[in-house]
Amino acid sequence: MPDKTVSYEELAAGHKFPPATYELNASFVSKYLRAVDSSGDGFVPPLAITACAIATMTKSIPLPPGTIAIHASQELEFLKLVPIGTTIECHIGVTQKIARGKMSMLILGIEVFDKGKEKVQSGRATIALPA
Amino acid sequence: MLTEIQQGKALNSVVKHITQEKINLYAEASGDFNPIHVDESFAAQTPFGGTIAHGMLNLAYISEMMTSAFGRSWVSGGKLRAKFKESVRPGDTLTITGKIDCIEQESDVSYANCSFECRNQRGETIVAGEAIVKLSSGKE
Repeated sequence: MPDKTVSYEELAAGHKFPPATYELNASFVSKYLRAVDSSGDGFVPPLAITACAIATMTKSIPLPPGTIAIHASQELEFLKLVPIGTTIECHIGVTQKIARGKMSMLILGIEVFDKGKEKVQSGRATIALPA
Repeated sequence: MLTEIQQGKALNSVVKHITQEKINLYAEASGDFNPIHVDESFAAQTPFGGTIAHGMLNLAYISEMMTSAFGRSWVSGGKLRAKFKESVRPGDTLTITGKIDCIEQESDVSYANCSFECRNQRGETIVAGEAIVKLSSGKE
């Protein structure tokens, strides 16, 4: 759900969206592998974890209806192999918000932890939006 | 997995054909139902003129190539930086290629620095970037 505590105009560097939890069970992994047309290797594909983080991000950003947000770039670091069945918590925060002419660039920090609070993945996404 | 890890070595390429069904499956798996990906009548009114694939679907194919080349070293020690340059439409065929640009040694750990690219059937670059894989440590 969009973060209703803040409007897009009010979003600023340092803002943290409410974290979201996902259970990466066999059914989720199987669905993901079918979607990416891959056979899998017995663990959660790292990009399946990123998909959860990005979904958290897209659901959290309070955009006006009809706004088209473009994923411009992505940085990722995979820190730990994640077994199937793991529950993860995705944390998304605004790192930077830049206005460039008619466009606005939102740079978001991504951190994903497992139940033991160990970081399994981190990254940075750049989203381009109409200003 | 690669049997020989050396500078200049090409990674096994990955080829994928994109359909609206695959985009819908990805939306269901990821929970990202942005209408630009799944609502054909909405997407037709946008500058894209139709639905486009999720950028993360394209990135998943790049990760598949890296996992195939480096196995668990990629999954628990990989880093990537990617720029999404063009959108992908249903009907496109993507070819993902990569190579090892150099091997670097830091203390007793070696790293493979790779570059990758995803192109469509017209030769346009869709995604381009770099990846680093931690290969081994004398302490492991």
